[in-house]
Order: sequence, then structure tokens, then C-alpha cells
Amino acid sequence: MSRFFKGSDSESESSSADEEINIPQKPAVTAKAFQFSDDEEETRRVVRSAKDKRYEELRTIIKQLRNKKNIKDMCAILSDFENLGKAFEKAKKVVDKEGIPRFYVKILVELDDFINECWEDREGRKQMSKNNAKGLTTLRQKLKKYNRDFEQDIAVYREDPDLGDDDEADEDAAEEDSEEEEEEDEPTVTYSKKSEPKPQAVDDGDDSDDYWNMSSGEESSSSEEEGPTDFTKLTAAYFLKKESDKKEIKKKPKKEKEKRFIKKDEDEDIDEGGEWEEVTKGAAAPIAEKPKMFPKDTEVNHEAVCKKLVEIISARGKKATDRNEQIELLKELLTIAEANNLGAGIAIKVRFNIVAAIFDYNSNIATCMRPEMWEMCLTYVTALLDLLTSNLDIIASEHVHDESENLQTPPYRIRGCVLTVVERMDEEFIKMLQACDAHSTEYVERLKDEKTIYEIIKRLQEYLEGRATTEEICRIYLHRIEHTYYKCDFSLAKENVEIQEDSEKLMDRLCKYIYAKDVTDRLRTRAILCHIYHHALHDRWFQARDLMLMSHLQDTIHHSDVPTQLLYNRTMVQLGLCSFRCGFTKDAHNALVDIQSGGRAKELLAQGLLLQRQHERTPEQEKIEKRRLLPYHMHINLELLECVYLVSAMLMEIPYMAAHEMDARRRMISKNFHHVLRMAERQTLTGPPESMREHVVAASRSMKTGDWKACKNFVINEKMNTKVWNLFPHPDRVRDMITSKIQEESLRTYLFTYSSVYDSLSLHTLAEMFELEKQVVHSTISKMIINEELMASLDEPTQCVIMHRTEPTRLQSLALQLSEKVGNLVENNERITEIKQGNLFYQKGNRDRDQSYQQNQQNWNRRQNRQQQRAY
Amino acid sequence: MAEFDLTTRMGQYLDRHLVFPLLEFLSVKELYDEKEMLKGKLELLSNTNMVDFAMDVHKNLYPDQDVPNSLKEKRSHVVTELKQLQMETDLITKIFEDPEVIRQMQSSRDGRQLSDFLYKEHGFKAEMVETLYNYAKFQYECGNYSGAAEYLYFVRILLPPNDRSYLDTLWGKLASEILMQNWETALEDLNRLKEVIDANTFSSALLSLQQRTWLVHWSLFVFFNHPKGRDLIIDMFLYQQLYLNAIQTVCPHILRYLTTAVITNKARRRTVLKDLVKVIQQESYTYKDPITEFVECLYVHFDFDGAQQKLRECESVLINDFFLVACLEDFIENARLLIFETFCRIHECISINMLAQKLNMSPDDAERWIVNLIRNARLDAKIDSKLGHVVMGALAMSPYQQVIEKTKNLAFRSQVLAMTLEKKMNMKDKEAVGWGGHE
Repeated sequence: MSRFFKGSDSESESSSADEEINIPQKPAVTAKAFQFSDDEEETRRVVRSAKDKRYEELRTIIKQLRNKKNIKDMCAILSDFENLGKAFEKAKKVVDKEGIPRFYVKILVELDDFINECWEDREGRKQMSKNNAKGLTTLRQKLKKYNRDFEQDIAVYREDPDLGDDDEADEDAAEEDSEEEEEEDEPTVTYSKKSEPKPQAVDDGDDSDDYWNMSSGEESSSSEEEGPTDFTKLTAAYFLKKESDKKEIKKKPKKEKEKRFIKKDEDEDIDEGGEWEEVTKGAAAPIAEKPKMFPKDTEVNHEAVCKKLVEIISARGKKATDRNEQIELLKELLTIAEANNLGAGIAIKVRFNIVAAIFDYNSNIATCMRPEMWEMCLTYVTALLDLLTSNLDIIASEHVHDESENLQTPPYRIRGCVLTVVERMDEEFIKMLQACDAHSTEYVERLKDEKTIYEIIKRLQEYLEGRATTEEICRIYLHRIEHTYYKCDFSLAKENVEIQEDSEKLMDRLCKYIYAKDVTDRLRTRAILCHIYHHALHDRWFQARDLMLMSHLQDTIHHSDVPTQLLYNRTMVQLGLCSFRCGFTKDAHNALVDIQSGGRAKELLAQGLLLQRQHERTPEQEKIEKRRLLPYHMHINLELLECVYLVSAMLMEIPYMAAHEMDARRRMISKNFHHVLRMAERQTLTGPPESMREHVVAASRSMKTGDWKACKNFVINEKMNTKVWNLFPHPDRVRDMITSKIQEESLRTYLFTYSSVYDSLSLHTLAEMFELEKQVVHSTISKMIINEELMASLDEPTQCVIMHRTEPTRLQSLALQLSEKVGNLVENNERITEIKQGNLFYQKGNRDRDQSYQQNQQNWNRRQNRQQQRAY
Repeated sequence: MAEFDLTTRMGQYLDRHLVFPLLEFLSVKELYDEKEMLKGKLELLSNTNMVDFAMDVHKNLYPDQDVPNSLKEKRSHVVTELKQLQMETDLITKIFEDPEVIRQMQSSRDGRQLSDFLYKEHGFKAEMVETLYNYAKFQYECGNYSGAAEYLYFVRILLPPNDRSYLDTLWGKLASEILMQNWETALEDLNRLKEVIDANTFSSALLSLQQRTWLVHWSLFVFFNHPKGRDLIIDMFLYQQLYLNAIQTVCPHILRYLTTAVITNKARRRTVLKDLVKVIQQESYTYKDPITEFVECLYVHFDFDGAQQKLRECESVLINDFFLVACLEDFIENARLLIFETFCRIHECISINMLAQKLNMSPDDAERWIVNLIRNARLDAKIDSKLGHVVMGALAMSPYQQVIEKTKNLAFRSQVLAMTLEKKMNMKDKEAVGWGGHE
């Protein structure tokens, strides 16, 4: 709304850039054009914008006030009136300079009349609600008091209210534009006409009318310079005819005033965003009259179009510029250029600018485009790319200087970077997805565009290959990678489908190029992470692992930017899931422990904001974090993640707990798992498991007693299948893997727990009990014996495990512990004497050793991982 | 057995000349088609100057054809070039033949000193080193390795270590020594080269990786021929992180040689095996052959039948491997011992028949073998000949023993501690007295 009013704010002294644009083409007013391009103009512009702002504020309030007046809501009128007074105070500075604006006086007069009328109407007053009546009284008093200050102006106004009428018309300028044209029986205007190549035959008067119409549409501000007396009437409509037939036109609005008023209201009622609609209409008008862009007799050639283009885009970024109209104007220019066959150079140049204008449309970076805009953006980018790919001799890059541009003849040289445009488009896309509710159809609709975007990126990549710098190619490659890496390649599942390049090869090719050519570390890091992610997603565990180890990212990732760290987290999680699927539960645990241990997985993966109890985050911080969130379709299922983590922790932890039951100091492998167990134990009543976590806890309990069947049934059942396991690409394989793991680990747990009860155990019985093959039982037990976890040996001829009665009795284990403690005591003594002796070197050395030892114990997982890293 | 042949894989990391011994070996083993072998050889020779050899091969390959003219031309060309180079280096060789120079050379180990001496006394010029280098290279290409080695020795001494071709010189020297089978010198050269590569910071990590890979491959010649090689190979391949990384990234097939070296190394086997197993497991998806699988079976899966099976396969692999054929006996013997040792650690009672079968021996042999082991006190076991069992001695340590072990040296340590404290006290007392006296 404000834009519109601001635009049509005719009394602002206000020349506009656009006006100045138009003028040069009219030889008659060239002098004026020079005036405008004066330096002075700059300074004046600043003043105007301040004024604009204030006036605009006033007008908004006035409009509200009028609306409320219509429904006689006295209370609201009162508050509006107070606001108005405040706004006027604010505008004091401007007003001092410019004099009291007429519209302000007018509203005061109107209000005065209205209140008097109401006051007189005793009947009506009685019917009023108490509130309203009170409001009316207060308002009356206030207004009286207030109007005293303006007595003079009001008097002047009352003498000659006609002028004020025009003022009103001026507010409706944009609407008038379209309506008027219809009423005037001028050729009606539609978008479809856009494509018509040539100006319609119109008489001179109309021509100029349209011309001005155009100008008001463009920038919708007109100039005071036209004549100081006109300053209240500088409406578009007024301008329209000014040159040919001033009077006639002047009357017309008056006549139509009433009608228009109604119409306007209707318009606004019909759609809430009325102003947008209207503006578009207003802009549509000029489009129909394209010729108006260039006077009829001007030859539309390259210079003219370029000049025009410069004029239009020079308004970019200024406050008074209506961005919507700018887009329309550029579109229009494009049509003209194309109609006149000005060649691909111009077409591309203009398209660049259109897309830029579309991106400009949103001033706030936090919000996203509107869908219509977005679709428009997509079509234009596609068209741009079409043009570029079909005219391969065109050089379009950001390195081309403005001066060296060549738009006329091939070989064209154009300043503008299509890569940047596409990158920006990609960003916008993410923003749009972030703004949608992930479970709505809207999201699905948007997501359909992903395909288009991917196509665009693909085509752009083909276009750039061989013609752009390696740096640019790296960038576009990375974009393609980032649109590929998280997608599971389902073409692999269907074996008979012929594809020229599956995603694995594609990723390989693109990533390797980046590894080799990239100079900014960031692109390479991201490419590596995406590559690992993609490998992991497709169960290529070894490749993914090796790449991760070779990249040495564990050490340096803390220094990189947040989005890359997020990607790293995602990659680690995917790696963990992959190793789980491949049966490496230990690696799965190691990969996931960092993400899972803090309970902040959601945040670490940028899949949602966590409620923080300790400290509130500031709104800015929240905004930043929100912007980082991933779109829903890229999310990793958190429940799956937790389940995988817990199950792998269970498979490690339960046998370990069983083996070290007697140990005085036993360390935990997974704190998180213990926490979950403890929480479950605290419950007074344990019912049958409901949630995933309860299932795992129940499974752990049965595993503790070596009951593998129960354990398996808790982990793998209908509920868990739907919740977790079916989310994997090959759920059956995973289930089989889990079953066999559970069998083995249950066997180990069983042996640890009950070995003290047995003297010998038959391998056959064990194999039967755990439904494992004898081979597996044998190898499991052998491993335990070799690692000295199980004090036993095998008796080959009878196929038995013979237990060595070495499990210490209570007394013995106490004795062992005591001896250990005594040993520690002696060690401590030695250390203390060393310190006392002041041998700093020793002291330091010892401490270091100690610390590193402790660390080793604490993060052995990570440590191990790191040790495995490889150098080239 | 061609599937486990590594020659093609290794070939890409070796010098042309170093591949010849491998090919010769293969043609003796008749693994591949004779014709193809010869063709390969001819191809290999095409880029060298060993034209006579090439002609021989050609004759072998196409007995009914004449030697092509191109070869003859090449021969004459090579001969003239050789002569020309000889002329150029004549002067230099004369300098080096001077007994005084030789003496000087032996006495002064420093290259700069020597070159100063040569510049002064004999009018030696800097370009001459390059000429010498070129001549040596030509000699090498002609197959005259001893000549090449000799000249390269001079070049190496005279060149400053930061020279561009210094590294090339070292490589050339190593290759020549290998081909002349001077293992002692080759080992020296190998170490020198290794130092240079480790110290040198190449422009890119990739380049140093490449250099290391080459070194790893070339060193196989030395390690499997030098008496101390099998110790050194473990040190270098398994315990020098950089080389282990190179192996893991580029050439996991080297694991075969590393594994063999570890298994045949009696002294260090126990400690090293654990690390080796880790590496093998990590790389099992990229490289696998019966030798690594044998280790995996034995130490990861404890699958003795599988290990036994693999051992049989190993035999045929080893016979057909250029480097490993020499240690076949050693390997088999040690592998058996490994199986048995592991077996004993797990079992309490083993029937000899089963053992014989596992070890790929007849029962009598097995019994004899075990008896020998027991007698040599390597094994705490007894044979129950009535049942045909071997019964292991008790391995477990009782808690009493454990406590004793743990507390054994505590008394001594505390005593030492007390003594040092006492000393300290005495010192302090003295000091205090001293101060007092002074006052």
C-alpha cells in the first residue's frame, strides 16, 4: 500500500529518475532533463524521501481513519486521531519546510464536519454504545482544541475545497490509470498485448497521455517542477492530459470521483493485498502501450534499449522504487527488444537484469519469495540458460567490464555471471523450503521444483565446462554435488535400467575434479564430506571410511564455518548408519557417540531448534539458527539414529558389563546407554515396552541373562520394524545382521555371566542354545580365550569348554584389589617425593603421562579413530 | 595360479630394467603363454638401448623372420651415441683414473671438498658432472649396470644434495646396484634414498606419496635378498607410519610381502602380529590373497580348518612369486608353528591325529614334531600316547600368584624411597648445620 501511495504522491516536489529517463526522448523538454540530472538533485532527493516517509505515514493513518469513519467506530477514530497527531508531530520538520500538507488539513476538516454531524444527530447519539458515545465526546473536545492551531489553514481550505478533491483523486492515481483507460474507451490493455510488436495508432494527445501514464506507473512520482501551483494535483491522471488538454482531464477525475471511490473500496475488499493487484494493473497498462517506452518515432535500436535499461536499473535499490514495477518494466523492455530483433546480446542482458530484479524483490533476507515470483524466476533463469546455450559464442561473465560490453554484434560480451544467478536461485529455493511446513502439500509442490533446479544446474554445468575458469567449474560442480549427495540412487535397485552415469560415478568425477583443482579449502572440504556421505548412503563402507580417514577432517573441522560443520555431523551420522548396516557395530557406535551423547542430535544436524532451558537465545541468534536448518527432505531420521546408536551400544556394553561385574572400577563405553538404562530402572512399574527406547532397554535386560530370543524379539518386531528398521533400504539384511550379532553377543554374555557355575560346557549345547553354527561358537570362544577374557580352554576330543577355576572368590578379588591399591600408594609416594625434591622436569613429565592416560581412557573411541588416520 | 600373480601390479611401480628379472622368472614358471611373455619383453625393451637383447628376443619370438631394420638402425644409432658420449667423458674418466684423485676421493667424504679439489687440480668443470650423469644414464640404458653404478657414484659425490637430478642419481644408483645384486651397497643406497625422500618436502603430498610407493617396491628386491632384510622390512613398512600409509592407500598388495616377512621372522613375530592383523583387517576389502587370508583365518576367525586350507594355497603362491620363492620352506614351517601355537593356547587337550591333519603332516611326523617342540622347551605339554592326545600344562595363574606378582617389588620400591628421603633429610641437616656454623 505504502509503496503505491508513495509512488503516486504527486505533490512531492519529486522528480523521479524515471521521469528524467523519459524526458530525453522528448525533445521539447530536454532542458528539464538536464536540470534533473544536476547534482542538486541528489540533495533534494534525500529531503524528499524523508518527507515521503512521513507523509506516507500520515496518509496511511488518514485512510484508516476514513474507513472507520464510514462505520462510525468512534473509539477507533479517536485512537486514529491521536496517532495522526503524533505522526504529524513527527513530520513537523518536514511540515515546517513545506507548509502544512493539504490532505492533512482536509482530513481535519472532514473529521470536524463528521463529528459535528454526529453530534447534531441526537437520535443517533443515543443509539450509540456507551463506549462510542464517550469516544465521540472526547474526540469532539480534542478536535476542537487541535483545530485551533490550524484555524487558518482550515479556513483557506473551506474556501476552496476543490483543490482538495484533486488530492483525493491523486490517492487513487494508480487505480485511475486502469479504470480511466477503460472508461475512456481506449484500447483495452492486457498482458497478452505485450507481444504485439508495434505501437497502436493513437492520436497525439493520447500518446502523450500514455506516456505520462507510463511514467507515473514506473516510478509513480511526478515533479513539482511542472509548476509550483500544480503541486496538489500532480496526479498521474492529471499529468496524463496536461499537455494536450489540461482542463478536460482535470474535470474527468472529478466526475468520476465518486464512482472511483466506490470502486476502489471494492477493489480493496476483494483482495486484501489489493494494492499489489492494483499496481500490477497499473503496470499492465503501460505494457500495452509499449511504444510509450520509446516515443513513436524513435528508432528502437541497441543504444536506445541500453540507455533505457540503464535508466530502469539505476532506480534499483532506491527507496522510492517500486520493485514490482521495475520487474514489469524490464519485462516490457525485453519484449520490445525481442520484437525489434535486437539480437541475443540484448536479450540476455535484459534477462540478467530481470532475474536480478526478481531477487531484489525481497528486501528482507530472512523471508522467502512468493511462489509466483519464484516460478517467474525459474522460467527466466531457464530462458537465460536456453539463450546462453544456444548462442555459445556469447561471453557472459563478471570479468567483462561495463565499458567493454558488446551487445550489438557477435561476438557478444556481456557483464553478468549466470553462475552467481543460479547460486542465488538455489539459495532462494532452500529458503522457500525452510518457510514451508514440511508436512504440507505446499512443501511437496515446492519440492517438485527441485527437479527443475537440478536440471538447470546440470545444464549450466555442461555450459560452463570448457569455457569457465576452474574456480567457477568447481563451484558449479559443488552445487551439483550438493544436490546429489543426499539422494539414494534408486536406479541401482532396478538392474535393467540403462543409465549413462550413475550417481556414484558422477560424484566420483565431480569430487575428484574439485579435489584436484580447488584452491579454496572450503569447497574441497564440502566435496569430500558430500562424497563420504554419498558412499555411506550406498553402503560403500570401506570407501567412505577410507576417505574420511584420509581427509583428516576430524582435526580441522572445528575451524571451519558452521554449515560445513553441520555437514560434517551429517556425514558422521551417515557413516555410522552405514557401518551399522554393514555389521560393524563398533564403528557405528564410535561414529555416532559424539552426536548422540549430548542429546542435541537435532541441533547438531540442523534439523530443528532445541528448547534450551539454561539460556535463552536472542532473537537474532534464533534467526541465524533458523536459517541454517535443513529442508525436511534432507533430514536424517533421528529415531533411527538413536535406535542404531543404542542397539550398537547394547551389543558392546552388555557383554562388557557382564565381564567386568566384579571390577571395582569399570568404565562405561556409552554414557548415554547407561543413562537410558538407569532411567528405565527408576521406574516403579515396567509395563510392556512402547517406545523405541523402551524396546532397546527391554532387549538389554534379556540379553543380560543371555536370553537371545527374547532380546531379538524386543529389537525386531512389528513395532520396531515400522518405526525403525523399515527405514533402511534393505531392512531384511539389517535384521539378519542384528539377529546374528545378538546371538553372538548373547553367547558371550552368557559365558561371562554363568561360567562360574560350570565346570565344562559342551560346544554342541551352546551352538544349539544360541542357534549358531558350531564354527561360530568355536571361533567366538577362541577369541575370548586368546584375549584372556574367559579363563577356560577347549578340550578338542570331547568338544568341550573346560573352565579353569580362576574366577576369584570374594576374598581373592578383594585381595587383588588391595594389592593394586597398595601399588598405587607406592606410586603416589614416589611421585610426591619427586615433586618435593623440586624436580620440575620429572613432575611435569609424570603429570603429562597421567593426563594422557586418563584421556585415553575417556575418549578411547575417538582416539582410536584418530590413530587410524592416514597420511598420503 | 595367475590370479595371485602381482607382476602386472608391481610393474607399474618399477623401472623397466627391474621388471626383466620378474619376467624372466615368470617365463621359467610358465604361468603365461610363452609368446605373450616374449612380446611383453620386446615391448619393454623398445624404450631402452639394449638393442642386442631386443634382437635376441625378436629372434625367439619370430624365428622365421629377420630382425627388423628399425632395430638394426637403432643399434648403429646407439653405438654412435655411445661413442660420442664416451669421447665426451674420456677426459673425466681420466681424471678419475688418476691414483691421487682416487686416494683423495676415498679420504674426503665431503663432496664440496672433493669438487673443490678437482676444480683446482684437474680443471674440472661444473658441466662435467652433467656429462657424467648423462653418460651413466646411457650406460644404464644399455644394460651396463656396473659402469652406470660406478659413474653415478661419482656424480652423487660431486652433486650438491639440492640439485635437481640428485634424486634421480640416487634412484639410478639403487637400480644399478639391485641389478648387479650388490645387496650390501644396495641397502646403503636404499637408506640414503629414504633419508632424502623423508627429508625432502616435495611440492605436493601426492609427489611424496608416489616417491614412497616407488621406494617400497624397489626395496623389495633388497629386503628379500639381504640377510637382515626381513627385519628391516617390518620396521619400514609396518612401523613407519608414512610408508604404511603409502601401502594402504596405493599398493595394498605389498601386504603379502609384509605378511610373509612377519611370519618368517621368528624373533619378533609375536609382538608384530597384532599390528599386522589390524592392518590386514582394515585392508581386507581392497586386497586379499591366500597369505593375508591365512593370517586372518588364524587370528581373527580362529578357523583352523580355513587356515590349513589357506596354507596349502600359500604354497603355490609362494612358489610363483619372484621375491618369496626363496623363503617357501621357512614360511611353511613357521606357519605351521603359528597354527600349533595358537591351537595350544586355546586348547587343553588335542588329539594328535587331528593335529596332524591340521598341520598337513602324517600323524607320526606330527608326533615327532611335537616331541621336538616339547624337548626344546618351547611347549609346556605332555603326550598321552594311550589316547593319542597332547595335554597342555596349566596356563592359568592363580590369584595367589597374581597378588604375589603385584606386591613383589613394592617392598623394594618403598625401601628405595625411604632411603632417598633419608638422604635428603641428612643433606638438609648438614645444610642447616653449615648455615649455623657460618653464623
